[in-house]
Amino acid sequence: MPKLKVEDLKKIKEEVQRATSPREGGKRVKATVHMGTCGIASGARKVLNALVTAVEEEGVQDVMVTTSGCIGICSKEPLVTVEVLGEEPITYYQMDENKMRQVFKRHILGGEMQRQFALAKGLE
Amino acid sequence: MAQEGRDRMKMFRSHILLCGGTGCQSSGSSEVKKAFAFEVERRDLKDEVQIVETGCNGFCAQGPIVVVYPEGIIYMQVAPEDAAEVVEEHILKGRTVERLLYREPVTEEVIPYMNDIPFFGLQELRVLRNRGLIDAEKIEEYIARDGYLGAAKALGEMTPEQIIEEVKKSGLPGRGGGGFPAGLKWEFAFKSPGDVKYVLCNADEGDPGAFMDRSVLEADPHAVLEGMIIAAKAIGAHQGYIYCRAEYPLAVHRLEIAITQAREYGLLGDDILGSGFSFDVEVYQGAGAFVCGEETALMASIEGRRGMPRPRPPFPAQKGLWGRPTVLNNVESFANIAQIILRGGDWYASIGTEGSKGTKVFALTGDVNNIGLVEVPMGTTIGTIVFDIGGGIPGGRKFKAAQIGGPSGGCIPIQHLNIPTDYEAITEAGAIMGSGGLIVMDENACMVDVARFFMDFCQDESCGKCVPCREGTKKMLNILTDICEGRGREGDIELLEELAAVIKNAALCGLGQTAPNPVLSTIRYFRHEYEAHIKAKRCPASVCSALFKSPCQNICPVGMDVPDYIALVRAGRLEDAYKVLLRTNPFPSVCGRVCDHKCQVKCRRGQLDESIAIRSLKRFITDNAPRPKIEPVPVSRKEEIAVVGGGPAGLTAARDLAGRGYSVTVFEELPHLGGMLRYGIPDYRLPRDVLEREIDDIRSLGVRFRTNTRIGRDIPFEDVHKEYDAVYLAIGAHSSQRLGIEGEDLQGVYGGVEFLRQLNLGNGIEVGSRVAVIGGGNTAIDAARSTLRLGAGEVMILYRRQKQDMPAWLEEVEAAEDEGVKMHLLVAPTEIIGVKGKVVGIRCQRMRLEDFDASGRRRAVPIEGSEFVLDVDMVVAAVGQTSDLSFLTGGNGVSVTRWNTIEVIEGVRAMTSVAGIFAGGDAVSGPATVIEAIAAGQQAASEIDAYIREKNGEPPYRPPEEQRIDVPVIIDDEVEEQPQAKMSEIDARERIRSFAEVELGYSQEEAMREACRCLRCDVEEQ
Repeated sequence: MPKLKVEDLKKIKEEVQRATSPREGGKRVKATVHMGTCGIASGARKVLNALVTAVEEEGVQDVMVTTSGCIGICSKEPLVTVEVLGEEPITYYQMDENKMRQVFKRHILGGEMQRQFALAKGLE
Repeated sequence: MAQEGRDRMKMFRSHILLCGGTGCQSSGSSEVKKAFAFEVERRDLKDEVQIVETGCNGFCAQGPIVVVYPEGIIYMQVAPEDAAEVVEEHILKGRTVERLLYREPVTEEVIPYMNDIPFFGLQELRVLRNRGLIDAEKIEEYIARDGYLGAAKALGEMTPEQIIEEVKKSGLPGRGGGGFPAGLKWEFAFKSPGDVKYVLCNADEGDPGAFMDRSVLEADPHAVLEGMIIAAKAIGAHQGYIYCRAEYPLAVHRLEIAITQAREYGLLGDDILGSGFSFDVEVYQGAGAFVCGEETALMASIEGRRGMPRPRPPFPAQKGLWGRPTVLNNVESFANIAQIILRGGDWYASIGTEGSKGTKVFALTGDVNNIGLVEVPMGTTIGTIVFDIGGGIPGGRKFKAAQIGGPSGGCIPIQHLNIPTDYEAITEAGAIMGSGGLIVMDENACMVDVARFFMDFCQDESCGKCVPCREGTKKMLNILTDICEGRGREGDIELLEELAAVIKNAALCGLGQTAPNPVLSTIRYFRHEYEAHIKAKRCPASVCSALFKSPCQNICPVGMDVPDYIALVRAGRLEDAYKVLLRTNPFPSVCGRVCDHKCQVKCRRGQLDESIAIRSLKRFITDNAPRPKIEPVPVSRKEEIAVVGGGPAGLTAARDLAGRGYSVTVFEELPHLGGMLRYGIPDYRLPRDVLEREIDDIRSLGVRFRTNTRIGRDIPFEDVHKEYDAVYLAIGAHSSQRLGIEGEDLQGVYGGVEFLRQLNLGNGIEVGSRVAVIGGGNTAIDAARSTLRLGAGEVMILYRRQKQDMPAWLEEVEAAEDEGVKMHLLVAPTEIIGVKGKVVGIRCQRMRLEDFDASGRRRAVPIEGSEFVLDVDMVVAAVGQTSDLSFLTGGNGVSVTRWNTIEVIEGVRAMTSVAGIFAGGDAVSGPATVIEAIAAGQQAASEIDAYIREKNGEPPYRPPEEQRIDVPVIIDDEVEEQPQAKMSEIDARERIRSFAEVELGYSQEEAMREACRCLRCDVEEQ
């Protein structure tokens, strides 16, 4: 990998911003499973696996699954943030595999936010 | 057809999609479609709006469904007559028609924005700015959030002096706990001569309950690396180490990935970003010894030696790792650096307090709803963190203290919730900021046990190098353990303080020097708890299990043997259960209805699902068991005792004294006995016949009653004092406190207790049609529910704080609401308005909540200009009660406190300043509960008895042998979650028509099921 110069930092920033933004990256939905120790301890890995499996089974191409760290409210873990193109990100709390499958089916595919599991919308 | 063809090609600004599936059709969607078409036509919107009929969208139960694009708003159960509003509001004015939106059936609540949730909204993210947003294992995502731009600026554009200046300007203190200014530390290391220097990151986070650093390393490891690069440039170092405990495998893993990626990108290693500057970092895994968080021990550990501290100076900035100048900062400090360089020290210092700048990350944990990681501006109060961000204490329990600073810190008690998170203020309060562990403790925490826990930790983690720490912590732990297990001795507190002073002064390193802090801080604020353990061998919080049989019994003011009588219910032996009740309580059927059941707060079952319904089981016993026969006790002593006041305290004292052979006379001003039980508590909570039966039992013992006799009016107090060998004053608190506002003497204005007394005397009261009750205590609730039953049209309660702050019991408040009482919260009266001497209204103002008062509740202050008038024709002021002590003014020497209660002398609980005169109950304590009055009566009886015996030179009283009741031990092997058995009640609409008892009592099956839930904490392990 080439050693970076200062200008490269800015280039990477622009490229990544484009890629991480679901709007520009060709992905319709970005789902982030929060995987800090607190999340993992309360079952985030199972939730992540359930999501990845569901994505594979459905064979959808426009959903990006990613992970991130703790957002601070550890007592509500596992947390999953679903960001559908053009809509407010929705953070779901105390997720398990069943809830994850439901969110995938109804929200990520169906476009219908699963209010009963939602903690909040928007970003901090 | 031609028209339709043109429409298809046309662009419409808005589309109304109507579901035309079978489901919606059957619920009338074709009519709805027609209505929309008509409205669109009528408003001349045909060229702008297209109406489309779609197939079934699946939500048939909520049909007909209308979706409006481009917004994608879904309206449910739309009727033809809604069309006009939707077109008018939504299509023309662009406003959503709220009432037709889908509501989540359970909560009915709209999902808030992240920042509307106080947990997130009150935080200020700097260290944690990337949390939840980036993938920690992808360096590009960090770069996309301005990552490494700070390093680029420092390496490319700044001199070491400039970097140090900027960090100094920010005022950033080292966030590891000591709080030494980071910039200064860097300057010392910069000025230390030598060409080999080191930058160390302390990631040996070891305080119990702290997890800030771990979270930062897991979520944003590059932020720490970038901070270290900048520090390296500032002091001229080329090698750094991160000392991270091996117990943080995920943090280590992500750090390793981050370092690898940074090296690949040339952000670590030689010639970083082409600047010519070289620096590299390695992770060193520590084995998890707490002492290795101390800087000199940490360096010893990296050097491969045993992790033990050494005396300073020399400080690491002069002679650190391998004897070279070294800067050591913790994770949070480094994570701040890049932002400080990028945005400037002034930006960083723009928030915070005078002495503490920027933000601080806290690991919020313990008895708090929102356990988690929070970053707040310095100066945010402890109360805000616990109650707003933390969401308060679970289960409606009371906050007790926040432990801050881990084993080196101390606690902030309830009266100091306004303390800002500022290094100075926290130190003044006897704690330390520390690294940011914040453990919330509720009323169920024992502070001696907390101190013991931390001392145990420090003693365990002491490296043993210096004597004060090695031996001192052990000695202190032994004393604390003794206190917790009932072996505490007089003088232990002083000994702990003395040892603490020695260890603080003489220990070699921070671990030892600060180890006594939790002990000193708990002694400072909770000395009475230590004293209770040492003198009374009692743990008030019911934690130190060596000191009691079960938590429920321990908390009960009269020590009722709860596990025993519940076990007897389970065994079907109700008669024995009743005998157990009567041993400690003359009023079990009263308490089975109106006791405030502190026992249920402590019940360990509550930690599993819900506490045992102890009060209801007690009532079940008294409702169903054969009543034990009461035989008169012959008078065997010559002394005569007068009891003034026939309430629970007076009657209990009379019962106990009669039981000891004294001749007892009870004087009561009112026509009937019972005091507040009769004249305060309404029939629907405590039926009169239930009360009468228990009073009759006391009469049967041989106690004489003189009702309609007021001491000080019918008989001078001096006469009573002269004629009797001892006098017990249990006159209660039967006068309402005045509101202190205009209009209080108008016709139609009552005091709370006066109103209830008139009612229970049987003097007919004409209630108004609109009644305002002022206050949030049980008297206010009783008054409100009583006026409803007397036929008031509308009853409202005005209370100046929030519902959870009400002193009344929650179940009473809820019952009042069920019956239709309206709560006006955060409202205070300013004037009662009258016309021709009669009440016609009450002027009120709204209140807002400010900081915390000494009781831990938020202070309510008036909002200017918020006055409003409520039309009412009756006002009941129930804002507090006081005693009428006018009969004591005759120079008889009985002292009265400045709160207008009778003073009892220190060291005892019932004797007043005059020998032979005793006092208790509400007249001493201020308004309290039934069970506390009973306890006061028992205490008084034994003090009076002891006083007389001592005067006569007799040996102390020895209670007769009690009949032995064998209690079966049945313990279920497995406990299944099962909530409390709910007690049946008369329906709210029915019960407000009369004063019939609301609660109906348990059935046999319900009681049995409930009794079987008891976990039997009283049974010791075999």
